[in-house]
Amino acid sequence: MRSGSSWDAIVIGGGHNGLVTAAYLARAGKRVLVLERRGIVGGATITEEHYPGFKFTVLSYVSSMLRPEVIRELNLPAFGFKVIPQECNFIPGLDGRYLFYRGDEEDTHNAVLKFSKRDAEALPRFDALMARMCKFIQPMLNMTPPDITSLNPNELRKLLKLAAPLRELTEEEVCEFARLMTMSAADYLDEWFELDLLKAGLAASGVIGTFLGPRSPGTAYVLLHHSFGELDGAYRSWGYVRGGTGAVAQAMADSARSFGAQIRVNAEVRQILVRNGRAIGVELMGGEKLHARVIASNADPKRTFLQMLEPSSLPESFVRSVRNFNIEGSSGKVNLAMSDAPDFKVLPGHGPHLTGDVTIGPSVDYIEKAYEDAKYGDFSHRPYIDMCMPSFLDPTMAPPGKHIMSNFVQYAPYHLKNGTWPERREEFGDTVVDTLEEHIPKIRDIILYRMVVTPWDIEQEYGLTGGNIFHGELAPYQLLFFRPAPGWAKYRTPIKGLYLCGSGAHPGGGIMGAPGRNAAREILRDWARLRV
Amino acid sequence: MQAVYDAIVVGGGHNGLVAATYLARAGRRVLVLEKRSVVGGAVTTEEGRPGFRFPTASVCGLLRREIVQDLQLARHGLSFIPFDPSVAVLGEDGRALRLWRDVGNAQTEIAAFSAADGAAYSRFRSFMIRIASVLDPILLRIPPSIESPSLGDELFLFRRALRLRRLGKEDMLQTLRIPFMSVRDVLGEWFETELLKASLALDALFGVFRGPWSPYTAYGLIHRYLPEASGGAWSFIRGGGAGLSNALAAAAREAGVTVRTGAEARRIESPDGQVTGVQLATGETIPARAVLSNVDPKRTFLSLIDPLDLGADFLTRIRNYSSEGCVSKVDLALDAPPRVPALEDLGSPPPHFQIAPSLEYIERAYDDAKHGNLSKSPTLDVFVPSVVDPTLAPPGRHVMSVLVQYTPYHLRKGTWEDRREGLGEQVLGMLERYVPNLRSAVAAVDVLTPADLEARYGLTGGHIYHGEMTLNQQYVLRPVPGWGRYRTPIVGLYLCGSGSHPGGGITGAPGYNAARAVLEDWPRIAASA
Repeated sequence: MRSGSSWDAIVIGGGHNGLVTAAYLARAGKRVLVLERRGIVGGATITEEHYPGFKFTVLSYVSSMLRPEVIRELNLPAFGFKVIPQECNFIPGLDGRYLFYRGDEEDTHNAVLKFSKRDAEALPRFDALMARMCKFIQPMLNMTPPDITSLNPNELRKLLKLAAPLRELTEEEVCEFARLMTMSAADYLDEWFELDLLKAGLAASGVIGTFLGPRSPGTAYVLLHHSFGELDGAYRSWGYVRGGTGAVAQAMADSARSFGAQIRVNAEVRQILVRNGRAIGVELMGGEKLHARVIASNADPKRTFLQMLEPSSLPESFVRSVRNFNIEGSSGKVNLAMSDAPDFKVLPGHGPHLTGDVTIGPSVDYIEKAYEDAKYGDFSHRPYIDMCMPSFLDPTMAPPGKHIMSNFVQYAPYHLKNGTWPERREEFGDTVVDTLEEHIPKIRDIILYRMVVTPWDIEQEYGLTGGNIFHGELAPYQLLFFRPAPGWAKYRTPIKGLYLCGSGAHPGGGIMGAPGRNAAREILRDWARLRV
Repeated sequence: MQAVYDAIVVGGGHNGLVAATYLARAGRRVLVLEKRSVVGGAVTTEEGRPGFRFPTASVCGLLRREIVQDLQLARHGLSFIPFDPSVAVLGEDGRALRLWRDVGNAQTEIAAFSAADGAAYSRFRSFMIRIASVLDPILLRIPPSIESPSLGDELFLFRRALRLRRLGKEDMLQTLRIPFMSVRDVLGEWFETELLKASLALDALFGVFRGPWSPYTAYGLIHRYLPEASGGAWSFIRGGGAGLSNALAAAAREAGVTVRTGAEARRIESPDGQVTGVQLATGETIPARAVLSNVDPKRTFLSLIDPLDLGADFLTRIRNYSSEGCVSKVDLALDAPPRVPALEDLGSPPPHFQIAPSLEYIERAYDDAKHGNLSKSPTLDVFVPSVVDPTLAPPGRHVMSVLVQYTPYHLRKGTWEDRREGLGEQVLGMLERYVPNLRSAVAAVDVLTPADLEARYGLTGGHIYHGEMTLNQQYVLRPVPGWGRYRTPIVGLYLCGSGSHPGGGITGAPGYNAARAVLEDWPRIAASA
């Protein structure tokens, strides 16, 4: 029996994937309620004003991976979603050299040519190869992973479909793909390039968000993951979202509402209600109970299964898999409000180099050493930093003439060997500013406000277990058939009526919207069987 | 010119001898050329000091039983000596964990450290053995062509997939995850005892220039359990590596192979991209229809072949083939039995013990080497085969071989010539803490660095496996993409050493598979010559 207030579907968590799932379900005519713990939706995809007049993209800071299908089908541009292409890359060195190039091929070629003819010639070939390999991965993103253990002809057919793009590649390309899947970014790049600044810039994209160093095998593949960007069909193109990444979530929320979904903020779920092995609703922190036919959790797998459910309601082997799910965060954020534009030692002045992506990590060894500190439980003494200053392109982000600086900092392990994050938060912030100071000598003079976000804060404030920005390490043994647990990659869970729709499900993190869209599709597929 | 030989095998290592013997048994006239005065290559026994015989390859467990049977190696003198405990790992606190061959005993020993681990151990072991037995048949088979796999290859792989499925849904999925994982990830899911984890990690990482934190290293754990998958075990070869190589040479000669030692190949002749023979260092040229190189890929293609006969892309691939060695060996001749207080209750010196107290310890050792430095605290894998093999040392005396990791071939500072002695001293100093009578017992120290391994045995980079055994250089990718089937861009030239599938570790499989590839191609080879 159901009370009259029951919903077709409740989405736990109003992160971008939860909003996507809600929008798709509402679009299919379902009565959908989104429950968000915080006062605003977006989860880790938010823009918040922590200092008057300055809008911080508190966690996620660039966009490129958002699936074009999601943008189109949810009609996001109509709700204010607009991408401002972020075209240039700036990699300052510590020896007076720097690499700076805009998005186009010719400019990149010329920038690299100053240092290495060989590399300049290799770069277009490298880019073309990456683009080809990406084409193999992309169809996977929109797909529900097949059951690899099944001998059911349907599943086998899906498995063949998954491998189909491989059949179009030549033997050489298949081998290259296998190498890309198994090598380290550093080893792979060493085969192509000699210029350390260039290698560092590329290798950095191989380790963003992972708890691996550029010399760890498996990071070559992540070079692809970050080449997914599909803005205007251009490869390796990233962009700012007008109004910060929070505007993505706002557009998604508005889209969901336009289809009839309801969104409640300040509504934290305490537990998922289960009766006879099926999910029937949720209980809020205040004790209020809400019922629905389907529950979709946008929370990460550990939070969903180990905190919102009684472990006894789940199979033992599943609980073991979830416990083993690697979800240790490795990064932090330091967001700065600045009274002026920064002056880089290697390239003073307020040129276009400030408008794009800035990589503080002048060599592969530098990044690897940063990783080594973190491996043993300390934050990097000299971290790798992915910096951007969206206020140069988007005047809505800061008062005129003033700027925000978003610093994504790696590595910062969730588990510290000495002390706790609340004790060491400011020390971490100081380390980051010290590192920036090596490149921007007068940075301390222009900082108006500093917001330090540690993995612990990411967990406490935004609910990401372990502070992992991807809801779990994006390693091959946790992707595809294995995400979040072997045998449970189809968004379904051992609890009937309970689905996962966040980055802890295939194909993982980043502002893609793919898990949310795929989960909605699977829920709708099951709908007939979910009737009670 | 009429070729006297159908095939010449360059290099008389164990794989070269295996390939030669199978070809001869199939009726080919075969010549083996070995640079040194003894056959065996890196699988031999060195008498560093009169009366003390040091096995170069310490333990053997992967040698294919099919080869042992086909070539009747037992009749030719090969025998194995198992030892127990298979390993003892020594902790910094004076405790030791012994892994007995009997699983029940091992379990009891582990349970003293952690009851949960004791229970997990036998489950872990049988899980690994189950996976290994799925993998096992792949080793003795030529990898398939990717573009046009034969029906036989497709059937074979399909049957392997079915076999994998028969493990059960859950085991199958767990199995598929393992190749992607790090040693640390896998062991962390099963165990909590650092000594146990470190010991298993050391085995999995032996000879590999990676640390336990590195993804894709867990494959080595399966490797460790391969012998058990076919009912075997890691054992010593009686008489050391020479025991195997001499048996193989005897089998080869019996099959009609001509083995020439002291015959160094200078160049493989390949005018117009077609093999015609081999030129020796003496200038002598010996014609042949086919040449099998037991030499590692880099040496084969970068110094034995005229680069003009190879394409630029192929050469780039070969140059990128990673073969930087990281293992050194310190041989100690002992005038007295080594006394290990932590293992006093064994009653005799331990045949095999390890010094690597934790995963973090191993990882830190790797970190040093990654940047071109010797590990400040290296891992030590110590074998005392004379405890169970009296042929190796005079009565009451012993040979102790210490395998040291990580010692990179490319040093950031200095040369191996300058560092060799220091390394020996460092190892002695470390060992002394666990073996107090060591200094007084040592009669001679011989240090083999990666540079020495290269100089003495011709292993490029001093790599004991003829190149890294990481996934990007395995199976169809070994040694380089597109050439994973023993054939090379030179018609009539084949690879038959550990630089081809399934790699190093004394399996004999590369030699066996290469001989099959040559025989498959024979109609073409015979026609073109």
